[in-house]
Amino acid sequence: MPWKLLWRNVVGHPVRSLLTVGAVAVAVFLVCVLNAVTSGLTRTLDAAAANRLLVQSAVSLFVDLPLSYQQKMASVPGIEAICKWQWFGGRYEQDKGGFFAQFGIDPETFLPSYPEMKITKGSYDDFKKLRTACVVGDELADKYGWQVGQTVPISGTIFQRTDGRPWEFTVAAIYRSSSPAVDNQTLWFQFDYLRESLEQGGATGPLGVGVYMLRMAPGTDPVAVQQAVDAMFENGPQRVQTTTEAEFNRQFISMLGDVPTLLQMIGGAVLFAIFFAVLNTMLMAGRERTRDLGVMKALGFTDRATGMLLVAESLLLCGLGAAAGIGVGLLAEAPFAVATASFLPGFGFDEGTLLLGAAIAVGVGLVAGVLPGRRAARLTAIAALREVG
Amino acid sequence: MAEAIQLRSVTKAYQRAGESLRVLDELDLTMAGGTFYALMGPSGSGKTTLLNLVGGLDHADSGAVLVGDVDLTRLDGGELAAWRAGNVGFVFQGFNLLPVLTARENVELPLQLTPLSRRQRRAQAERALQLVGLGDRMDHKPRELSGGQEQRVAIARAIATDPQVILADEPTGDLDRTTADAVLQLLQRLNRELGKTILMVTHDPQAAGYADKIIHLDKGKLGRIETNPGRG
Ligand SMILES: Nc1ncnc2c1ncn2[C@@H]1O[C@H](COP(=O)(O)OP(=O)(O)O)[C@@H](O)[C@H]1O
Ligand SMILES: [Mg+2]
Repeated sequence: MPWKLLWRNVVGHPVRSLLTVGAVAVAVFLVCVLNAVTSGLTRTLDAAAANRLLVQSAVSLFVDLPLSYQQKMASVPGIEAICKWQWFGGRYEQDKGGFFAQFGIDPETFLPSYPEMKITKGSYDDFKKLRTACVVGDELADKYGWQVGQTVPISGTIFQRTDGRPWEFTVAAIYRSSSPAVDNQTLWFQFDYLRESLEQGGATGPLGVGVYMLRMAPGTDPVAVQQAVDAMFENGPQRVQTTTEAEFNRQFISMLGDVPTLLQMIGGAVLFAIFFAVLNTMLMAGRERTRDLGVMKALGFTDRATGMLLVAESLLLCGLGAAAGIGVGLLAEAPFAVATASFLPGFGFDEGTLLLGAAIAVGVGLVAGVLPGRRAARLTAIAALREVG
Repeated sequence: MAEAIQLRSVTKAYQRAGESLRVLDELDLTMAGGTFYALMGPSGSGKTTLLNLVGGLDHADSGAVLVGDVDLTRLDGGELAAWRAGNVGFVFQGFNLLPVLTARENVELPLQLTPLSRRQRRAQAERALQLVGLGDRMDHKPRELSGGQEQRVAIARAIATDPQVILADEPTGDLDRTTADAVLQLLQRLNRELGKTILMVTHDPQAAGYADKIIHLDKGKLGRIETNPGRG
């Protein structure tokens, strides 16, 4: 393979080559990001713990369940621990436009049920002892520069304090989760703080629980527990729906519509467009080099070698583009993951994503190179040299 | 000893508008090795066709084309390509250098088909360029060279693999008189000093004057073969 000629042909048309490489780079970057989103979602589902069930209202996730349910469910055999999850929906005073989730939970059962969470700073015991304490994810703490011991003002939207002031949570501990099942940008506080405020008139808002987490003892049949819990409230006051964590996540994600399929369709369209861009470049290149190819054949290069020259050029353009696209993607990965952690948990380039980028380069490169390559191979030296050029 | 070229009863026809046009009609021709031949004839008389057959670029419909003891009509496409790489050098009217490569790289191109190392290829390309008087233009691209210089690079490319046969199709057709003379002198030197067999198509009687013998072709039939006065 005359590598030097191959390279010179590419740099001999700097603008066209750059545009093609750039187009491939953008496409590979896009497809990799889309793939990372999809595989992030999948990973979140896969990371769901098998021993955790979630109980929500059979009507909707936005309808609260009564507090009294916790006691009743505790009698179902196989349930080891129960933890409330109540959506708070507050806004950080210093960044009203920003968004992160806050949940009221039961400190006693929360951390033991989520072994993927590790306290990195402060102490969970301090969290349990102080009514107004909270535990925050390390990414959230980094974002706002929060330190252990600091008080964080959060104004309620669902739950308003009657004195008109924002809620204040004291950071007792910072955690890091090793699984996409729990993100690193959430603030957890004591549900009892919220309940006491509501009961004592310190705040207004609905008193209830959005979701109960049930932790099952090892060896428990989840279907039996699901059926027992669902049956328990069959006749009200609120019917419930008990699901595995994986199923719960799936439902949550599907509220966004069938995202993975949509993303795959967009990715496919991008690939289709890029294929024609590269094909166009290679057909142009092949055509304007007709005479060169004829000369090479007269010199003794075989049909195969001359055809391969164009295939290799196509592969080179796509390879450079893919490398650039993946490179930019890797640079953007960390900031993007942080920015999207709360609604796209698990975003990240894995081996599959990088492999996909490389496969696109090889696939598009080959297919777009084959057509002009075949034409080059079939061309006879005589016909090529006869063409006025 | 350079190889002789023999055409035995060679016929070549082209189909045009449903009619078969015999460009070469049972042509018999023997050319001695180490001789400089000029091939003359009116436009369309089949000169290029003949050259392409001798150079293994085209297939005869019937007959045999022997270069040395190789019958080109028995070789398939891949074998012909391999044969061309080692046994024949082409010089075209339009020079046909690859525009993206420098003079040296153009000359090195056919050497890529040989088992030579990179260093040897480079050395051999430089030697060829020196021989054609372009030792100081090796890193120039074709567009930075004059027509005469381009044609000399093309000649260097044709002799780079040291083939015994050089085929030139109107090599001075695009050149002015003075430049043409320099190119023709160069071809003559290749013949006299290196013993190359040269077959050169030309319209120009003055160019033909550089050859040892002049073959006339008319409508696919062989005419006279003249020996240049003062030679042969
Ligand atoms: N590929 C082809 N198809 C049809 N006719 C051809 C082809 N190549 C050459 N010819 C015809 O064959 C004849 C001889 O061509 P050529 O050998 O190029 O002549 P010359 O070089 O003597 O001018 C011309 O009439 C030309 O038009
Ligand atoms: Mg001709």
